[in-house]
Amino acid sequence: MLIALDVQMMLQDNGYTVLGPAGTVEGALRLLDDMRPDVAVLDGNLRGRPVVPVAQRLRDLGIPFVLSSAYDILAFDGCEALAGAENVGKPVTESRLIAALQRALP
Amino acid sequence: MDLDELYRLLRGSHVQAVSIVNTLRDPLVVLDDDFRVLTANPAFYKTFSTSRDETIGTALADLGNGQWNIPELRLLLDQVIPRSTSVIDYEVRAEFPHIGPRTMLVSAQRLSHPDSGQRILLFTIVDATERRQADDDKDILIGELGHRIKNLLAVTRAIARRTGVEGRSAEEYRDDFLGRFDALARSLAVSTQEAEADLGQLVRAVMEPWLEETSAITLDGQGAIALLPRQAMSLGMILHELATNALKHGALSVPGGLLDISWNLAEDRDGQRQVHLCWRESNGPEASPPEAVGFGTCLIRFATEVDLKGQAELSYRQDGFVADLTFPQ
Repeated sequence: MLIALDVQMMLQDNGYTVLGPAGTVEGALRLLDDMRPDVAVLDGNLRGRPVVPVAQRLRDLGIPFVLSSAYDILAFDGCEALAGAENVGKPVTESRLIAALQRALP
Repeated sequence: MDLDELYRLLRGSHVQAVSIVNTLRDPLVVLDDDFRVLTANPAFYKTFSTSRDETIGTALADLGNGQWNIPELRLLLDQVIPRSTSVIDYEVRAEFPHIGPRTMLVSAQRLSHPDSGQRILLFTIVDATERRQADDDKDILIGELGHRIKNLLAVTRAIARRTGVEGRSAEEYRDDFLGRFDALARSLAVSTQEAEADLGQLVRAVMEPWLEETSAITLDGQGAIALLPRQAMSLGMILHELATNALKHGALSVPGGLLDISWNLAEDRDGQRQVHLCWRESNGPEASPPEAVGFGTCLIRFATEVDLKGQAELSYRQDGFVADLTFPQ
């Protein structure tokens, strides 16, 4: 909860408009039904479910993303959807997150 | 060599071998050179729910459903034993008749008759199913614990980052930070004592520092309301922010000010159980919305709306601040 709020505030401080956050895989997918973000930050795991379906949807939509996960992403099934995305780790520092987002954006 | 001969041999060695074998808690079978069962101990019959008739004289590979008919095990017995004379804790995972899926650790020891040179094989079996399951559970638990610790560090870091520094002394920052940190710790303590946290316990735990100091606070909640650990953490942090605000600007900042915290559980129109918590300050200074939205207010709104998937109605009234929180249980 506080981590998402912290990340949201980091992003806002750096001029990003935050469309989320979504606390569950379903919530994130619903959000993507209605909105098209420029870039996304994904936790590896939302309420115990791997974030893979969200990563897959983002790939399909051509939206870049970065991961902020305490987990080793290779441990997930279907991790090919996550392959190539930068994992900034968790907890994440503001400078590392912002730098990764800038690299991810086209 | 028949059984009597074996017993004689063992007795001749001045060892009460038979009774030792019979009292062994782990299954043991004695095999001849062709891997046929010469004898088995009571633990074997008991463990595999089988009888002497089904066992004695039967080839190892034909016992039960043929669980021991494992090419790799056969190879071990055939080739390794003559050279190394023993096999220790060879793992067999299989479906056994009567007792279902099991993990067995097999050890085998070759013995030679000193006179005839006849060779027999002592074959012991340890049912390691529960031990293996416990090991697996422990690994999962340790992994989960590791993740929780990382998460907790990230939360602590977020609190440290978001606790305001502008225009405040180091002491003020430290006290604010520790206040939030303690609220987090208290919320966690409530939810880890049992799998689920009770709302009343949570309120008492988070409000404890102030409940001791003042009689201005009344708590009013009926029955136990179970919260998930993550709900308890969010609500605990919300309560702490509300309390801090009440102490700084609200009813608890003046003598005679009152705070009433009440809660209940009710079903909404869809039959979904909703937790309702009302934080009502009165007899204090007139409440007014903050000029700039601080982290505390952000946290209250964020935690209620995003994490608890509920609503926070914050009212700034003439006789004090009121927060109405509603969220699905």
